[in-house]
Amino acid sequence: MARAISPLLIFRLVLKPNEVFQNLAVSRPSAGEVFFKLVVWMIALPPMFAWFGSLNFGWRLGATEPLVLSTAELAGISIGYYFTLLFGFISTALVSRWMSVTYKARESLGIHFAMIAVVGAPLAVGSVIHLYPDVFVNILVLVPTLIWSMYLLYKGLPVVLRIEPERGMLMASALIGYLLVAFVSLLGLTVMLWGFGIGPRVGI
Amino acid sequence: MAPAHYHDKVVRVLVLCSVFWAIVGMAAGVYAAAELVWPGLNFDQSWLSYGRVRTVHTNVAIFGFGVSALIGTAFYSVQRTSHVPLFAPGLAWVVCWAWQLALVAAGWSLLSGHTSGKEYAELEWPFDLAIAVVWVCFAIVFFGTIARRKIKTIYVSNWFYGALIIVIAMLHIVNSLAMPATLFKSYSLFAGSQDAILQWWYGHNAVGFLLTGGFLGMMYYFLPKHAERPIWSYRLSIVAFWAFTYSYIWAGPHHLHYSAIPEWVQSLGVVMSVILLAPSWATMINGIMTVSGAWRKLRSDPALKFIVLSLAFYGLATFEGPMMAIRDVNLISHFTDWTVGHVHSGALGWNAMITFGTFYYLVPRLVGGELYSTKLANVHFWMALAGTMLYILAMWAAGVTQGLLWLSLDEYGELLYSFTDIMASMVSYYGLRLVAGVIFLAGAVLMAWNLFMTVRGRETAKVLPPEPVANPAAASEVAA
Repeated sequence: MARAISPLLIFRLVLKPNEVFQNLAVSRPSAGEVFFKLVVWMIALPPMFAWFGSLNFGWRLGATEPLVLSTAELAGISIGYYFTLLFGFISTALVSRWMSVTYKARESLGIHFAMIAVVGAPLAVGSVIHLYPDVFVNILVLVPTLIWSMYLLYKGLPVVLRIEPERGMLMASALIGYLLVAFVSLLGLTVMLWGFGIGPRVGI
Repeated sequence: MAPAHYHDKVVRVLVLCSVFWAIVGMAAGVYAAAELVWPGLNFDQSWLSYGRVRTVHTNVAIFGFGVSALIGTAFYSVQRTSHVPLFAPGLAWVVCWAWQLALVAAGWSLLSGHTSGKEYAELEWPFDLAIAVVWVCFAIVFFGTIARRKIKTIYVSNWFYGALIIVIAMLHIVNSLAMPATLFKSYSLFAGSQDAILQWWYGHNAVGFLLTGGFLGMMYYFLPKHAERPIWSYRLSIVAFWAFTYSYIWAGPHHLHYSAIPEWVQSLGVVMSVILLAPSWATMINGIMTVSGAWRKLRSDPALKFIVLSLAFYGLATFEGPMMAIRDVNLISHFTDWTVGHVHSGALGWNAMITFGTFYYLVPRLVGGELYSTKLANVHFWMALAGTMLYILAMWAAGVTQGLLWLSLDEYGELLYSFTDIMASMVSYYGLRLVAGVIFLAGAVLMAWNLFMTVRGRETAKVLPPEPVANPAAASEVAA
């Protein structure tokens, strides 16, 4: 169990993803263990990188001058980013557990926490590109990372949750549907906040 | 007299025409996308200019690929859910070939620059008249078949196909009312903001009743057939149908936020758009629960994967749409590529994927054989998924960036960036979108080859309607 959940998991995922999935399949991690050993710090990576990158270079949106925000505003946005990711993680794990009844998968909350953490790990590491805050460069790096995360979801879910690969494919697709909706909600919420005067100043 | 078998030859021709138009429409889309990266690709030829190629792309994709598939699958399913062959089969052939002829002529007219200037209704009045006549013939064949049905219940897929036929006729005829000036030029009977409201009443409901309602008809017939189990909740499907029909028709004004139309009309558009989420997601849940019980089929059946994924993208598009209708979101998203990404999450993720899944199921059955290559279909699945994801992610990033840059002000309150600056900064995203389009198109070419090899040298299978049963009400339960 200790081998299954540790901060080194991210590196093992790169080298031997199948081994990580097999270990998780036979382990019974508790939700608290996964959350405090892995999730809390892993999720802090993207806001940290984004904060550092934006503070030093400003976000390049493609047109002339980069967008520079004040230190206080950046700190606020980074903290908001952290809690949004935290909410996203917990809600996805809960939705996954909720779906497990339909797809006859393992129902312990800990294993769903572990699986979503594993799937999200490449994105957390890939967020290092936030240090170079150019939107297009970020897209170029994060899209392949996202595809790898999706591959891990489809490949790992049936192994970790001990269900047939076909059922796993259905459950993974349902989770992708949820994640797409969650992401677009985040996008909508963000631009609404801009309209309310939080974030970059827009002429409204 | 020998018993009459189902008229499936016309279905076969319509499906193959739909595949042909899919390739043409997507290729035009890819070319238009390439022109946004390299504007010189128009070679100073007016007929190759972006404005004309893009219009050919949308018209061929929607009316060539989409409508040919809808007419074909409606003809196929209405016979089987009514237990009778098509009413007026000769007229069905007229519908089939007249529609293809209209598409060829329409493509020529659009490339020649004849346009009414109304989005998705660009064709000039002679084409509008021809389309109306063909559509009425389609209605006669479809409703004539239902009128002669041997089963009491009208299965839910036919309600959706029926709504498609009736509402599109109403929208097309009213929005196309115009005064002809010459053979290829006319002027709308409506003026100013009334014309705009009417155009988006048409435009949004073309999305609603054609790209959503029509394809839901396809889903409600082919998904249960494919999964070999009844729809999860028939009652929910009927409730969702009426809620969908009632609420969709009001949502058009959300295309005209912050414009000269009355504010209460805009607000009504927002409210009805948000309400739409309920019937849309009820349908998605119904589809997902139906397929979740048929997971074993996925082992041998690549077609079902397309349908599963199409439901996920249907969920995304029907959530994103109401969200973008909210004025505070629309403020940033309107006129940006976010809208283009939204449309394609529906068009590629939902419409194209469910059609691909349906064709992989339908075509082998039409010729009584096996699919030529399951492996190719699996490769197509991953290409379609990758193309769609890359497309919408590129357009999300491009759209949000555009929305932000357009509204940025300098210290004097002047706009910080010119339109040209912003467009120039979009080239990288448009390059990504081009790659996405090429991947998606290449997948469709694989499908076309696979389906062509499946039907090559094979006659259309002759299928007889089942024998009449003693209890028609009970039979209707299993008809679908």
